[in-house]
Amino acid sequence: MSSPSANRPTGKRVQMLATCLCDAFFDDAARATVEVLEYLGCAIDFPEGQTCCGQPAFNAGDWPASRRVVRHTVKVFAGDVPVIVPSASCAAMLVHGAPLEFEKEADYGEIEKLGHRTWELADYIVNGLGVKTWPGKFPAKIAFHTSCHSRGTKSGESTLALLRSIAGVEVQIFGEGEQCCGFGGTFSVAFPNISTGMGNLKLEHMRAANPDILVSGDSSCMMHLAGMAEKEGHPIRTLHFAQILRDALKNGGLLPT
Amino acid sequence: MNAREDMLGRVNKALAMLPERAALPNWDGELAVAHKLVDHHAPLELFCERIKLVNGTPMTSVTEVAAYLKKNGWMKGYCDPALQKQLQEQFGPEFTLSPEFDRTRVDDYAFGITRAAGGIAETGTIILNDTLTSRRLGALAPWVHIAILPRELIHLTLADAVLVLGDDPNVIWATGPSKTADIEGILIEGVHGPGVQIALIL
Amino acid sequence: MDGFAATLKKETHDAVYNSTKATHEKRTKVLFDHFPDANRLREIAGEIKQHVIENLDTYLPKVEEKLRANGVQVHWAPTALDANQAVLDIMRKRNATKIVKAKTMVSEETELAHFLEKNGVECLETDLGEFIVQVDHDHPSHIVRPIIHKSRREVAVCFEKNGLGAYNDDPNVITQRARVFLRQKYLQADVGLTGANFVVAESGRLVLVTNEGNSRFCLAATRCHIAMVGIEKILPRDRDLALLLNLLARSATAQQLTVYTEFIKGPRKPTQPDGPDEMHVIFVDNGRIDVLATECRDILRCIRCGACLNVCPVYRQASGHAYRSVYPGPVGAVLSPLLAKEKFPELADLPKASSLCGACQEVCPVNIPIPDLLLRLRDKNKRAHGPNSGTPPLGAWSILASQPTAWKAAMAMGGLVNHVPRVLMPGPLRKWSDHRTLPPWRGGQFRKWLKNRPTAKGKS
Repeated sequence: MSSPSANRPTGKRVQMLATCLCDAFFDDAARATVEVLEYLGCAIDFPEGQTCCGQPAFNAGDWPASRRVVRHTVKVFAGDVPVIVPSASCAAMLVHGAPLEFEKEADYGEIEKLGHRTWELADYIVNGLGVKTWPGKFPAKIAFHTSCHSRGTKSGESTLALLRSIAGVEVQIFGEGEQCCGFGGTFSVAFPNISTGMGNLKLEHMRAANPDILVSGDSSCMMHLAGMAEKEGHPIRTLHFAQILRDALKNGGLLPT
Repeated sequence: MNAREDMLGRVNKALAMLPERAALPNWDGELAVAHKLVDHHAPLELFCERIKLVNGTPMTSVTEVAAYLKKNGWMKGYCDPALQKQLQEQFGPEFTLSPEFDRTRVDDYAFGITRAAGGIAETGTIILNDTLTSRRLGALAPWVHIAILPRELIHLTLADAVLVLGDDPNVIWATGPSKTADIEGILIEGVHGPGVQIALIL
Repeated sequence: MDGFAATLKKETHDAVYNSTKATHEKRTKVLFDHFPDANRLREIAGEIKQHVIENLDTYLPKVEEKLRANGVQVHWAPTALDANQAVLDIMRKRNATKIVKAKTMVSEETELAHFLEKNGVECLETDLGEFIVQVDHDHPSHIVRPIIHKSRREVAVCFEKNGLGAYNDDPNVITQRARVFLRQKYLQADVGLTGANFVVAESGRLVLVTNEGNSRFCLAATRCHIAMVGIEKILPRDRDLALLLNLLARSATAQQLTVYTEFIKGPRKPTQPDGPDEMHVIFVDNGRIDVLATECRDILRCIRCGACLNVCPVYRQASGHAYRSVYPGPVGAVLSPLLAKEKFPELADLPKASSLCGACQEVCPVNIPIPDLLLRLRDKNKRAHGPNSGTPPLGAWSILASQPTAWKAAMAMGGLVNHVPRVLMPGPLRKWSDHRTLPPWRGGQFRKWLKNRPTAKGKS
């Protein structure tokens, strides 16, 4: 669990960490992130050399491997502007996970500094840029999954606040919202029965609310749930909340299409 | 080296590597009070309300207790010897209040009457101790326990009660009748201890 | 663990799931209804316990001195065998052959009952759930609700099989039968054994938190009290009890207080006819000091409430027996491998059997950062066992992920499937595909769009 520090840098000049999942599968979520931030007047620097936050190896217990990747990330994101990440779990990795595995390392200070500048996207929009409501429209019933890595942060409440403020959005409540979806990184393949057991339970609860779309701030959770739903023959539509924010603007004629 | 030296030595070694030790927080006692429950309530009134929530039974007269016991056919019990004469008179001849407790006939006693050392309003708790409980078994083994509780000995909060635990070697906070939910989560009252916990508040 | 979960009987799964979920929800309500600032309470309680653990070198001698001054005999047990032997020695000195015991987790660690039986002592569990477990030669599956996995039917069958009456699955009848049977046992026993939820350094008081009245009976019917206590159970002052007692019962059983909270300072008062003349406290190590020396020492804060078990999605899927140890659930996933010492490899899967969701930390009354401790154990396991650790090999991936040119090539090609969550092997990829489809590969598309869009505001 991470608690981002109180005095992180803000401002409209930012760097963006797209995340490896968006790099590989969810390019539109990354694209939507750019479009949303630029709509808000941000100038985005996308360091081309970025790869991954190092979380997969950290969670798996291979800390030397993870540290190698984190060091690369720190190098690539040199600077002092805010680093915006469209993923609560990647943000938590930089804010909390990386400092944990670098406790005894000489370059701990460098790693901590990066964590100090890191913001999850919704947290940044609401608490960094002060945006409380979102314009445009997006008529849909949405089931929002608060990912586990947003525990102890303002990401979940920020995302919900933004979504609820969009004309046409109906955020559905469903049971056991605090329970994990069952992804957990390598846990999903090392403990497949428990992982899918958890995923099925989550799908059952979310479906009971009859949503049009499953939404989250973490692509990993969506990939796991959508993958299961499709495998069992009942696919569900999933979107990253950045895509909803962007599409709401488009629908409201506020973005060039 | 004996076991004590071995263990303490290894504890020292384990902690020696810490650059500093975590400090003891000096926390505000008000944090441990459930203000929502206790504010604007007097101890007696709150005690009666809370004890009922845990299925304890507050009563205010011997007559009330006697009527309750008679209704259930519980006519024989144990009584604190210091109170036995007076209470036997008040209960009347239909009842048998025995100042002795025979361990070999433990189920002969349907009820036990002993003195409480206090109460806690916030939780509906009766405080017992070795000093004022004439016999531990007398307060524990019978199905019904009647604790005689002077109203001025009821503390408002748990936090208050914790500060006056004193030197008695066996202070017991009894919050309702004994219970279990071990079998399928189903609540059963009256396990090893009393199934009925009465506070006779005088 | 995963295999166990897959083959778990539906009846058992449902019993565990429904029970844990209900208790968790009640716990949340009663805690926050009474204390809107409950999370602050948990933080402070955590700081108090962490302070004690990091100062055990001062607290242990202090508590010992106070206990002795109160007329209590103090013993020290480095190993499980030492603890069990200490109990046996006390029994032998008194020519005692019968002991009744209340529920204490540390005695389950040391397998006390089994040891005593082997040495000719009758050792009877008196907590209803533990009594049923003992009679049925079963194992508890939850630290507060030992038979959460058992149905009333199974209990009725067990009672009939063991001479405790004809088949009757009414919980009231079952409980009454246990009450009648056990009260004779208390009265015939020589020694009563308990644990302690807390030992207060300032006063030397032991605190026991129970519901059934069994520990009271152990201490009312016998003449000798033995308390087996883990060294980490110390609290600094009586006033700290106000905080911990308000948190413990709400966290464990969603009660404001358990029915009986006992504060035991020494043998009975001379004017009190019932109760022990003699009192012993056995401080048990059994691996705790080893844990104290590691970066996982925070786990020693645990007050054994079981709230983490009740909220854990993995525990709800797999149930307690899947953990194959005295302590299941999130606390067990950290503590059991650590206490297992050289048997650590046998339980190495436990720290990995977690999605690191953090629900446990959120409910822990002493705010233990369990996910961080699980991560530390995964690191420790990898360092200790390298290729045999069961950790997927991520070295090659990490090199790829620190070389942008190679990375971008892999993205664009899409063939090198070397990415989160799948690893460089076909095995895990296959395992993923057993239960889930993969989204279409879009490697490099975002970067391409960013570079090629007409109004390129961002620098690349």
